[in-house]
Amino acid sequence: MSKFAALVRRELGVYFVSPTAYIILTALLFISGWVFHSSVESFVSNRLPSDYQPTLLFIEVVIVLTSALVTMRLVAEEKSRGTLEILLTSPVTEAQVVLGKFLATLVFLAFILLPTVGFAIILARYGSVDFGQVFCGYLGVMLLGAAIYSIGLFISSLCMSQITAGMITFSLVILLVIANLRSMNLPENSFWRQLLEWVNLGTVFGDFMKGVIDLGRLVYLVSISGFFLFLTTRILETRRWR
Amino acid sequence: MIEVSDLTKTYPGVAAVDRISFKVEKGEIAGFLGPNGAGKSTTMRILTCFIAPTSGSATVAGFDVVRQSMEVRRRVGYLPENNPLYTEMRVEEYLQYRARVKGVPRSERQKRVDEVLERVSLQDRRRSIIQHLSKGLRQRVGLADAIVHNPEIVILDEPTIGLDPMQVREIRELIRQLGQGHTVLFSSHILSEVEKVCGRVLIIHRGKLVEQGTPEEIANRMMKTGRVRLEIRGDGRAIKEALDRTPGVARILWSSKGDLNTYIVEAADGKDLRGDLFRYTASQGWEVLELSHERLSLEEVFTAITETAARGAGA
Repeated sequence: MSKFAALVRRELGVYFVSPTAYIILTALLFISGWVFHSSVESFVSNRLPSDYQPTLLFIEVVIVLTSALVTMRLVAEEKSRGTLEILLTSPVTEAQVVLGKFLATLVFLAFILLPTVGFAIILARYGSVDFGQVFCGYLGVMLLGAAIYSIGLFISSLCMSQITAGMITFSLVILLVIANLRSMNLPENSFWRQLLEWVNLGTVFGDFMKGVIDLGRLVYLVSISGFFLFLTTRILETRRWR
Repeated sequence: MIEVSDLTKTYPGVAAVDRISFKVEKGEIAGFLGPNGAGKSTTMRILTCFIAPTSGSATVAGFDVVRQSMEVRRRVGYLPENNPLYTEMRVEEYLQYRARVKGVPRSERQKRVDEVLERVSLQDRRRSIIQHLSKGLRQRVGLADAIVHNPEIVILDEPTIGLDPMQVREIRELIRQLGQGHTVLFSSHILSEVEKVCGRVLIIHRGKLVEQGTPEEIANRMMKTGRVRLEIRGDGRAIKEALDRTPGVARILWSSKGDLNTYIVEAADGKDLRGDLFRYTASQGWEVLELSHERLSLEEVFTAITETAARGAGA
């Protein structure tokens, strides 16, 4: 257990000695702050009840778009620096290494999300906030983050260079964001349309944002994370039978 | 301690390691010698469980590297080629982390880290960021990492590569000290280094183990053709022609400086020619200044072995 904690701590440390954490945090606070401000302004001028959803949506967007920055270095950097060799010849299993890296990204995500909760608290001070809904929203961001980070981790384990890993991950994320654009010209209820709607990140997040925890979505996101973590572990293991 | 038998690692089209077998006994310092690309790193990566062999087997500290990999890893300290480190960390922080990953219990961790820092003389650099250290100091961090969990076996891949002569000497001294408490296997493509530090030398070339033994043993085995060095004052050409006619002589190398001639006489069938040559030169009444058995240095042996092996492979 101590070994595992050491792995997580080191991974987490890298984010804060490199500019990654600060860049993402700045982008997140700037964009969500801006959206928060303008949404409150429009509620007030239109005499509408306060709502945290617009802010949540943009928090999700920033997290999704910056995910490549978080995951690209995870394995690729260790490969190019050669440190993978000291890591994997230590008495730790590949699964421990992969889970350690993954958990570190989740802790990192929780850490950068924390300051944004301040917006909800400010809103609650002057209007009514449904904290159940806010909680669902953050849960959604965390689950979505977990799924995308595990995909990014997997891609990083396939690449020798973190730049390549970052570009591939980013392209894939964009594809998932705009998946439903293509689906619009497909016939209603066709398999492809339903599939594209289902994988579309905006749709996935929509329910959470509204305060609905759909069991299907929950299982979907958790399985994606599990599946890609499993694949990453396998990829690290293949070096031993190549 | 380390037992390798018929170890083979093939990559598509090449055999990086080709049926290697050797043993390293407890407490020994064994040197893995070979030109670049000979298969040293591949063998070491197999022994440290980073990659698996294609066939053959290897046991380290009595555990199989494939089936009991965790047990092996616990007992091996490894410094890979080019010494990869998490350079953004501080020296002590890094060693603490490594000790923890390697399962050193919390109560002993600080003590172990202090011990290895002292051993590699980095006590006053414990707060430095690794990136800011010179190459030699970084190499010591790598060495400290390799021994932080007090492993039975230490495997060092090219530990002195890219260092200046002063640093090379320091690292070499450290390796010698390591040999007192650990079994050490280290690789190098520089012969003099291996000769100075190791009790035993394993010469590897193109994936094959071509020689093994103490430096003297190898040199002796290579002296199948006895060589005698003669220094004679007189008419060089006449002496050479006379020597050529001496029975048992295969080849003579002759160099002269004024009337001082130096001959390297090689015997055909590994015979010791010293007696014959003494009697012959004495009977001729030549002024013999020196008559000695010429010892091959390990350097020459190494060159000869790798050249022979290369010719063998080419044919």
